[in-house]
This record gives sequence, C-alpha cells and structure tokens, in this order.
Amino acid sequence: MTLVQLAGPSSRQDYIVALAGNPNTGKSTVFNALTGLRQHTGNWPGKTVARAEGTFLNQGKRARLIDLPGTYSLQAGSADEEVARDFLLFGRPDVTVVVLDATRLERNLNLALQVLEITDRVVVCLNLMDEARRHGIGIDAAKLEAALGVPVIAASARRGEGIPELLAAVHAVATGARRTTPYRIEEHPPAVESSIRALVPLIEAAFPGLPNVRWVALRLLNADDRVRLAVETGEIGSLASGEWRTTPDQTPSAAPVMTTAQRALLDAVTDQRWRLPPDFHDTLTASMYETAHRIAESVSLVGVRRVKFDFDRGLDRLLTSRWFGFPLMLALLMAVFWLTITGANVPSAYLADLLIDTAHPWLKNGAAAIGFPWWLSGLLIDGVYLATAWVVSVMLPPMAIFFPLFTLLEDFGYLPRVAFNLDRFFQRAGAHGKQALTMCMGFGCNAAGVVATRIIDSPRERLVAILTNNFSLCNGRWPTQILIASIFLGSLAPARMAGLVSAAAVVGIAVLGIVTMFTASWLLTRTMLKGEATTFSLELPPYRPPKILETLYTSLIDRTLIVLWRAIVFAAPAGAVIWLVANVTIGNASIADHLVGWLNPVGVMLGLNGVILLAYIVAIPANEIVIPSVLMLTVHTARIAGMGAGNGVMFEMETAQVGELLRSAGWTTLTGLCLMLFSLLHNPCSTTIYTIYRETKSWKWTTVSVVLPVALGVVVCFLVAQVWRLLA
Amino acid sequence: MPESAIALLWFGLLVLLLAVAVWPRVGVLAWLRRGRRLSQRVQIEDALKHILNCELAEQTATVQSLAGVLEIPPAQAHALVTNLGAMRLSELSDRGLVLTGEGRAYALRILRTHRLLERYFADRTGVPPADWHDLAESAEHGLSETEVEALAAKMGHPAYDPHGDPIPTKAGQLPAAHGIPLGALAAGDTATVIHVEDEPATVFHRLLSLGVNVAVPVKMIKADPNGIEVLIGGVARRFDPLMASAVTVERVEEGDGHTVLFERLDDLKAGERAIVVQIAPTVQGPQRRRLLDLGVLPGTDIVAELQSPSGDPMAFRIRGALIALRRPQARGIYIRRAPVPVAAA
Repeated sequence: MTLVQLAGPSSRQDYIVALAGNPNTGKSTVFNALTGLRQHTGNWPGKTVARAEGTFLNQGKRARLIDLPGTYSLQAGSADEEVARDFLLFGRPDVTVVVLDATRLERNLNLALQVLEITDRVVVCLNLMDEARRHGIGIDAAKLEAALGVPVIAASARRGEGIPELLAAVHAVATGARRTTPYRIEEHPPAVESSIRALVPLIEAAFPGLPNVRWVALRLLNADDRVRLAVETGEIGSLASGEWRTTPDQTPSAAPVMTTAQRALLDAVTDQRWRLPPDFHDTLTASMYETAHRIAESVSLVGVRRVKFDFDRGLDRLLTSRWFGFPLMLALLMAVFWLTITGANVPSAYLADLLIDTAHPWLKNGAAAIGFPWWLSGLLIDGVYLATAWVVSVMLPPMAIFFPLFTLLEDFGYLPRVAFNLDRFFQRAGAHGKQALTMCMGFGCNAAGVVATRIIDSPRERLVAILTNNFSLCNGRWPTQILIASIFLGSLAPARMAGLVSAAAVVGIAVLGIVTMFTASWLLTRTMLKGEATTFSLELPPYRPPKILETLYTSLIDRTLIVLWRAIVFAAPAGAVIWLVANVTIGNASIADHLVGWLNPVGVMLGLNGVILLAYIVAIPANEIVIPSVLMLTVHTARIAGMGAGNGVMFEMETAQVGELLRSAGWTTLTGLCLMLFSLLHNPCSTTIYTIYRETKSWKWTTVSVVLPVALGVVVCFLVAQVWRLLA
Repeated sequence: MPESAIALLWFGLLVLLLAVAVWPRVGVLAWLRRGRRLSQRVQIEDALKHILNCELAEQTATVQSLAGVLEIPPAQAHALVTNLGAMRLSELSDRGLVLTGEGRAYALRILRTHRLLERYFADRTGVPPADWHDLAESAEHGLSETEVEALAAKMGHPAYDPHGDPIPTKAGQLPAAHGIPLGALAAGDTATVIHVEDEPATVFHRLLSLGVNVAVPVKMIKADPNGIEVLIGGVARRFDPLMASAVTVERVEEGDGHTVLFERLDDLKAGERAIVVQIAPTVQGPQRRRLLDLGVLPGTDIVAELQSPSGDPMAFRIRGALIALRRPQARGIYIRRAPVPVAAA
C-alpha cells in the first residue's frame, strides 16, 4: 500500500501539508474546509483508506494537502498505520496538521505525541470544539500549546470556525516564521530506557545530525522493517540534511555496502532486542498514555458545567435496547428500501420514455437521414446506445435515492449501532458486524457494497465481506425478480392473491441471499480463510446532526455518479456484443443461434435454457439488461414474426405480453423459478468484479468471488430442476 | 423422470468423490500430505533439529536418541547418520553426534521457522495452544527462505516464540538461555514464567490447563521431594517434579497478580465500572496492540455502558470513547471493580 507520488520540491507546490489524526475526528471535514474540495466525510471510524489530495492557496503560497489514513497510533501495526508513518518520515511534509477530537482528548493526544516524536513541524488542530461545548467539556488551548510546544488551534471545522487561524499557523510553521519545540518523552520505563541509551550513541555515530534519534532507536527495537532498511541503505542519514524527499513507494532496493558504524548499530539492535522484556511494547504504550493523561488533565478547564451525555446516552439505550433495538432497526431499513423502490418508479419510467421510447427512434431516423449504413447505425444506436440508455434508466433513479438516504443514516451515526446490534450473528459466521452495513449497501449496488467494506479494519473479515457481497440482491436484479415472479409464480395463486404471492417470492429470494451470505461466510472462514489475521473493534461515535444538503451532494458525486459511470463504461461494449451476436451470421444462422444451440442442453439440465445462459454471458457487464436481452434473443432464435424491434435490438413490453411470449417459447414455472435462483446466485457484474480486483489487488480472490456464486448457482439450479422433474 | 434420477445419482457420486478427496484429516489430499512427512528431506531436517536441541540443552545426541525422537527403526537411523556425514552436516565425535558449521546453520534455520510458525499460530489464528507445536512441525519443512522472511516481517520480527524460547535471527544468532527452573524457587519467592517446554505434549497440556503460560506471575508456597505447591494467578496448584521441570521462571518483585484472583471485563454488567489490571498474557499480536492503542492499560477506568440486544458485544466507555468489544476479547482483560460515579449512574 502506497500513498502518493511526490515530485521534488521544485514542482508546482510551495510546500506539502500532511493531515493526520484518529479515525472519526472530523479530519475529512478539516480537509474539505481547507481545500474546498468535497471529499465524502462519514461518521465512521476508518474512512479515508484511499488517500485524498488537494491543493489550496495560503497567503500567496501553493500548498498541497495530503490526507493520511485515520489511525489510533503510528506503531505500524496495520497497513494504514504504515502508510501514515512512512509518509511522515520519508515524505517529509513541511507541516503536519494533527487533528484532535476535543471530546476524546486523551486518546487523541496519544497519536499527537507519536507524531511529535517523528517531526517537529506540527500544528495541532483541536477540532469538534462545538461538540465539546455541547458535552460540557472545556479545554484551555493556550495551555495545551504550551504543553506540546507547537501551535494549537481550537476549531469547529464544520462551521468553519478556526480555519483562518489554522491556515495562518500552517503558513508560519511552513515558512519557518514560527519555531516549534515539540514535547518529547525523555524518560521511558527503565528496561526500555537502558536499551535506547545503548543505541543512541551508535545511531549518532552512524548518522550525525539526525533530528529524531530516540525515536529511530525505538523503531529499531520494535523491529520496524522500513526503518531498518533505511538504516541499512543509509537513506535515513539523508533525513538529517533535510535536503531531499524520497517517494514512499520508491524503497531503495540495492543495499550499498554498509559502513562499520551501520553494522555495529544493527548488531547492537539484535542484542538489545533479546534483553528487552517481551511486554516492552505494553510499557511503552503505557508511558505514552500516562503522558497524554497528564497533559489532558492539566489543560481541561475546571468549573465548566459537566453535563451528562443525556441525549446521546438516552438515544443509545433506545436504539440498542433489547425490546426496541431490532424493531426500530427493521423499520428504518424497510423505510429506506420502500422509499427507494416506490420513489424510483416515476423517474425510471420518465427516463425510459425519454431515452428509449423517444430518443432511440429519433436517433435511428437521424442516422438514416444522413445516410449511415444499416450496420453502423445498428451497432452504435441499437447496440451501444440502447444498452447504455437501459442501464441509466434502470439504475440511476433508485441509486440517487438509496445512497443519500443511507449516507444520512451514516452521518448521523446510526449505522455503527446497526453493526453493534447485529454483530453476534456475524461473529458466529466468522465475520464482522460491520458486514451488516456493506450487505445493506449491496442491496443498492454490489460495487458500492464492495467499496464500503473499507470500513472493516480487520483484513480477514473485510475479505469475507467482499467475497459475499454479491449475495445481496442488487438494484439491477430486483426488476428481473419482480417480473418473473409475477409471471410464473403469482399466476399459480388465485388472482386476488397473485400480487402477494409474487412479492413474497421476491422477498424469499432476498432472504435466501442473506442466508447464503451467512453460510458462505461461515464456510470461507473455516476453509480458505482459516488462519488469516483477525482483529475486532467497533467504535460507536457520538451522534452528529447530519448536514442534509452536503450529504445529498457528496453521496451523489461519490457513490451514485462514480458507480453509474463505471456501469456505463462496461455496458456500452456489451451493447455492441449483443447486437453483433444477433446480426453476424456464420453459415445460415447468426452467432446467437449457434451459441443458443450449444448452450441449450446445459441450460435445460439447470432448469433454464440456452437463451437465458447466453443472456447472462453477454450481460455480465450489467444485470439491468438481462431481461431485454432474453426477450430479444427469444424472439430472434424462435423466429417469432411480428414481435420485437428487429435483430439485436433489445426491447421490453407489458408484463402480460412478456408472459405470453416466454410461455410460447417453452418456459414453465420451473424455468421461472430457476431463473430467479440463478439471478441471485451467479457471478457479480463486471463493474463489481473490477471493483473487487481494485480493492483486493489479488487475482486469486477476484477469481473466488466470481467462481463461488456461479458454482453455487449451477448446483442449486441443477438440484432444483432434477428434483422438480423427478417429482413432477 | 428416470433421466433426472440418473443425473442426480451422478451428481451424488461426484460430491462423494470430492468429499473423499478433500475431507480434512482423513481425505486423500490430507493423506498424501502426511506421506510427504516421511520424505528424506524431512528426516534430515528433523535429525538436525534434534541434534541442535541436544546441544542447546547440553545433552548428548546419539543414534539411539535420534531413532527414538524420529520414531524410526535403529537401522534406518544409522543410515540417516551416515547420510548426514556424507553431506557434511553432522559428524560423530566423542560427545556423540555434533553439527558441523554448515549443519548448525541449517538447523538454526529450521528452528527459526518452527518458532516463527508457533508465534504465528499463537498471535494470528484461533488455533488452540495444544496444536501449535504439531502444526509448526508439519509446516516448517514446506517453507522457502523468502516465505520465512516474509512471515517474520509480517509478524514484526518477534524475538521470542509463545513458549518463551528465543527465535534465532536470520543470520543464525541465538542468545544464551537465562532464567531458573520453577522448582529452584524458595518458599515465598515471587517470579514470572518465561518459558514453558512444549514437549512432552501431555505435560504441556496439563500445564496449560492449570493456567501456566509465559508472563504469568507465580509465587512459591512450599517445595518438597514429591512436588511443589505454587500460587498461579492467585490460585494454589500442586505440580509433580516432572511438571515443575518443564517451567522456567525469572525472579521478580511481588505484585498484585501473584496473590489475587482477578475478575475479567466480561463479568461486568451494563452500568458497572472497573479499573483495568492488565491485558491477559495470552492475548498477543494485533489483538493486544489494538487494545493498547485504544488505551486499555493498567489503571484505565472502564464503564460498561450498552449491551447489544443480541447479548454480545458490549460497549464500554474507554477514555471518553464508546468502544464495542466481543465477549472473548473482554475475557482477555483482567479488572478490579470500582464504585460507579454519580454522574454515570
């Protein structure tokens, strides 16, 4: 995991500012306040896994701002911590802004003290002062500044309070106008102190002038690979001069010959490491926290009205209570889904009318008028345009409603409580409670669900959440389920019950997906993922009033539009392929005819048919176009005259007509049922596959995420079909 | 209809075949893997490790002891020793079997792998302590040097394995042993366990079940020829001489842990308050680090605030933040109860 490509100091910016802090301290809000860039900020620990970067002008100087991952410490115990630490050490930012949560000063100071050990060019931003006031917490910023030896700015980034002062302080430290005298722990517990004292002269001998000798000694005693490598290659010596920066991902590979001083240092490190008590890391952390505690006590204002956390506590007791916890949660989530489904109907119909019924014929006529050959207008307009238009009209409206609603709940701080309520069930399956949220997100879009797994900080549990997200029936598959259920299952019941039966069938499929998710998680953590690292911690942040307009804006930009854009990128070529298979002929039949013929025996064995299988293969890019493709291919291969819109042109009709068409093509109740099952249990769409690869950076796990659901789908459909036929 | 029956039959057969192939422990794959353990390379590596262990313990390695440890007939052990000699890894001297320089380096590499693997199983997986040794024993031969180094780096280059034994460095350095046997303590002495021998397995399992582990505080009550009586974490236990000899300790000043039986964090009910005594020594690796980073340290004030409606996890107020911990995690934190402050009630 690497952070940024840094050019030399001569490039476009005048200085580099790093932003560090605990998770959930409003770090991203500070980032946005400084840069004006709308980076998404959630009420979530561990949000900024991917780096964010922005620039701002400060008193005529161009500053580049780098948002480091939110971490509890810099001990390099996790990938995030390593990224943050490497950047602070080797990226040599001109100023590091440490954002502290004023309501949890002690724990936040622990990180600030660690940053001060590494670099002295620090500005502390004491954020969330408004929240602290609400909770009756008072902090003397001037006293804190005196204690830490670096500028401390009290701020409420969400209201813009303190931002001008922060900019001024950053400028002063960056230009050297303000000299800092950072607080450093001079005396560690005796066992550790003696080892540090043994190493300090050796480090000074090998690398004279190093600014943070004691810290380097500690890191070497902690067997920090990156620091050790920097000693071996002599790279660490360049930090003394402060002349140049290295890019964090350009670790020097070829180790030059070491001097005797370097070798003596490394030998001494090995020796000292065996003298240290095994629990020395504990005592170090303890002495850090003791210092943090002492400072926090000394700067807290006495006489401020200490209110009890009445509102938060009362709300927490209600939302996690034994009697109301689950019903409230179900009601809220049902409300979100209901709003999404009903709210999306009108705009979806409007978009379909505009893009497909109106614009498509208009484009065709236009192309004919300017003399496009039939194959070109077919490929571009019937293929590429139609597939894209279809995806947009089906996908956009529900996502534009679902994601902002979800984000509002997230910003308010309710979602961590959902994870808290449901964790036990996920614990049994070897997964993390936060998977409940990524699963819910998957009901909107699996690709977004996979991205959302970043909130899970334990690698194994995150992987489980990624691999099983596809079992959440996504927005692109709901229409298929509803259509097929009402044609083939609703019709089995008496007319007045039909609606209820088909709705129950769809919900049943979604529940089956949840059951499969739990089962698959359970199996994965006991087979393939056995022995992978595992940690759990779930912070329940304080409730914060969500900022509605900003949420709408950012969730639209961050989630809806990005996912939609990727879907379009993948859907456009799929449209071309669909048109081509129906129009290119080999011998006296189209490619589609040949493929359907070959796939049919396999399809029949699974209770499906060749048309469905081909539709699923060509529609890998987007589940939204499965039904239009099925209809087109059915008309095409069965040579039904007077129906459809021509070879390779996708279309849709009234439910009753679709039923008539499919039944005449030989579909039975079994076909419908198996299609519903297969629609739940098949590979993720290509947007999701691509996202899984980007998130895991592993072909192995990407392959598993594709093969696992397909294999499950094949087995389930096969068993259902054969048993059905046996009993029929 | 018969077609369906036949198809289902075929499917059932396929599933059965697959199960026979990959079933854990008794499947064909597992059987093949076990077969590899008998290979030449494995025998050589196990032999070198045995000779090294004897050297470190200042005992004499012989062909007989080798045959016993590797569970092979004496004739085969003889052939093995000849083979080792031909490869210049070991030679027979008046002090029994000894390692050559090359043999010693090889043996140290195997020992490093073994102890790193034990550390890995202890810190990063849910594998019970009783299985660490056997799992490491079967995995140590399959790893390449790069894989071993990657493992070491991932674990943060640990200096000790979970039994308290030092892990040889990449260059083959190993510190001299220190500490004294548990039996050598005088009545009233207080100490900390620094090493628990994992062989023979029965003794090791028994010690584990009595709560003996690295970093556990012990206090000697009395020693007599039939065994010793000690306080382990505040509870009196009797050890026979064999068990006592498997435990190495280091004398320390007496602390609370030597005489008091502490409660655990999962004993707290919502609304109750406690002070942390320590994180249990058995909690290691990333789990321990995370708790430390969250500020769970001796002396930390913790209030249990919310219980999940499903019973687990419980949310605790730790240094101002509300942190949910699962029951097994809370179980790993020793506490002392404290009165509930008026404000939190």
